[in-house]
Amino acid sequence: MALLRLVSLLVFVLALEAQALTPSHYLVASDVDRLQAVLSQPFTDLKSAYFSVVGLSKLGVSVADSNDACSFIKANVDSSSIEALFYAAEASQAISSCEIHVSNETRDSLHAAVSEDSTVSQIHQAVSALSSLGLPLASQEVVINLALLGASALKAYLSITCTFDLAARLDDLGGVYLQFEEGLEATALFVSAAYALSDHVDMEPPLKEDQVIQLVNSIFSKKSWDSLSEAFSVASAAAALSNNRFHKPVVVSAVGPSGTQEGGDLHVTDVLCQPLSSANVLVESATSVASKAAILSQTPFTLRDGIFELNFMASKPASGYYQFSVAVTGDSRLVANHVELKVKVSTKVAINNMDLSVVDKDQSIGTKTTRVEYPNKGKASFIADSHQNFAMTFQLVDETTGVELTPHQTFVRLHNQKTGQEVVFVAEPDSKNLYKFELDTAERKTEFDSISGTYALYLMVGDATLENPVLWNVADVVLKFPDEEAPSTVQSKNLYVPKPEIQHLFREPEKRPPTVLSNTFTALVLSPFLLLLILWFKLGANISNFSFSPSSVLFHVGHAAMLGLMYVYWTHLNMFQTLKYLAIIGSLTFLAGNRMLAQKAVKRYSLHHL
Amino acid sequence: MSSSVISVISRFLEEYNSSTSTKLKVVDAYLLYILLTGALQFLYCLLVGTFPFNSFLSGFISCVGSFILAVCLRIQINPQNKAEFLSTSPERAFADFLFAHTVLHLVAINFVG
Repeated sequence: MALLRLVSLLVFVLALEAQALTPSHYLVASDVDRLQAVLSQPFTDLKSAYFSVVGLSKLGVSVADSNDACSFIKANVDSSSIEALFYAAEASQAISSCEIHVSNETRDSLHAAVSEDSTVSQIHQAVSALSSLGLPLASQEVVINLALLGASALKAYLSITCTFDLAARLDDLGGVYLQFEEGLEATALFVSAAYALSDHVDMEPPLKEDQVIQLVNSIFSKKSWDSLSEAFSVASAAAALSNNRFHKPVVVSAVGPSGTQEGGDLHVTDVLCQPLSSANVLVESATSVASKAAILSQTPFTLRDGIFELNFMASKPASGYYQFSVAVTGDSRLVANHVELKVKVSTKVAINNMDLSVVDKDQSIGTKTTRVEYPNKGKASFIADSHQNFAMTFQLVDETTGVELTPHQTFVRLHNQKTGQEVVFVAEPDSKNLYKFELDTAERKTEFDSISGTYALYLMVGDATLENPVLWNVADVVLKFPDEEAPSTVQSKNLYVPKPEIQHLFREPEKRPPTVLSNTFTALVLSPFLLLLILWFKLGANISNFSFSPSSVLFHVGHAAMLGLMYVYWTHLNMFQTLKYLAIIGSLTFLAGNRMLAQKAVKRYSLHHL
Repeated sequence: MSSSVISVISRFLEEYNSSTSTKLKVVDAYLLYILLTGALQFLYCLLVGTFPFNSFLSGFISCVGSFILAVCLRIQINPQNKAEFLSTSPERAFADFLFAHTVLHLVAINFVG
């Protein structure tokens, strides 16, 4: 009997399309609450009071105890500091019925601050203070102030820079984020300043729609803020993006974490997570991903309690994935108002006509076919030995529509009760979407390690679009394998036992010749020296002509020293030391030798030319 | 055939003994010594293998180098070659011989390990 059909829609927001960028990072209600909580911390000084009070007012919330805040500001304002006056003035303006009284000297000092000598932030603070306190301003001061809002965000700038040039300094990161390298605070302050300036001069800011969305991604990617000033900058950016005359980014998101609700429900909000009540949300087209057939076209959503609903199920779609193209209209300022969503329709599966049989290999006709109904288990167990095949056929259909399904996972698992071994096979559908599984006992014996016994047969069915994945113990099968081997239990392949220890083999020294041989050859190699001495003696070489002049003595001593140095080099020294000593001894020997040989030459010359 | 070889050799030896001066014979004896040393080293290497190859190379090349330098010295101090070595006196040849040997020994000792 068919179960009641419950079809659920799962809605995902596709991250980024090539043509139209949609925000991938945005504040949800819990983030806005967290931002509010950060800004509601108790004040420590005037600057934090300014951030808290003004930040909360930008979120549309008033500070907890306004009288307390007002008296705190009045108590902490230091009339001599332009910065303190600025914080006090802005904060008091945000609190209703809070007035700061300023003396004439203070007013004059504020006017004096708006001059060429002051720094950018000083000028900005003075002009803001003057305007917030309700004091008259010269008109050019106003324009300067707004232009400087942007410049003061980047404190490195000391000269007046137009916001339009600043926009060129933004870094595009991967097409998703657009931010200043100085960080989140600078980017957020830039955004609030840019929109304030644009609203004031009634000119569209020099940002393309894609850039606006990239800025949204950068500013709202951080969901917890390190400092009060960072939280303040994010709050002012959010306020600026929600309430300016030119751009209003739209955030479309699914309702609930997994979105399993009847109908396709969407949150359509601005960046401060306020629903856009005046917007019209329309499904431009809904096509099935598999068959590319259009299911819906130009169907509107209905707004109920801040949530936009669509009754998708009325058109009875088949299970699978659908691509929705949603458009949000109603305000010319809307940015990123075309969204592509992927919707999944899932269904329940039913298993029909599960037939189990044991077929003899010789005949093709089954001996017995047993039908098993889900979720019961087959009563008798099936016996298959090596001459038989075990076969199983079944059909998988959609419970409600009766259409045949081909899920991604259809496995047949055989589990041996005694040994704990399990073998998994895949069941394949034929052309008529009828699933078949055949087990040839003889062919598959290696997978079973030829262990005969009772195996529990399970059918596993699963798919992303199925609500009820199936694990069904269909029957027990007794398999008898030929040539059963001795091992009764399968060694579970335990990978995490210690492996056999590897003994390190040290490098074996090279084989040397026997010492006797080496010594023999040493003697042999030195023997020609004796021969030399004998020959020289026979030839009559002598040193009778040796003159004991100092240069020749020195030469011979030096030469002997050089040879000695060679020996010492071999045993003790390195090249650098040797070269050092060699240089010393060598130069001495050279000089002495030069002298000696010159004397010899003179002697020889005089002898020959007598 | 063998008798003619023997006679050639003995003739050669006679000529050698008579015509070469003592000084050159001294150098020749030195050359023979170097040759034998090198040959014996090579024989050892053939027998035993080249285990400390760098040592073998060092010894062998120092023998070869010494042989070459001694041959150069012999050529330069031979009075019969005086015409080709007008600027080089025997003393200068000997000094060059010593200097080259210093360098050779330095390298050989470095390499013998």
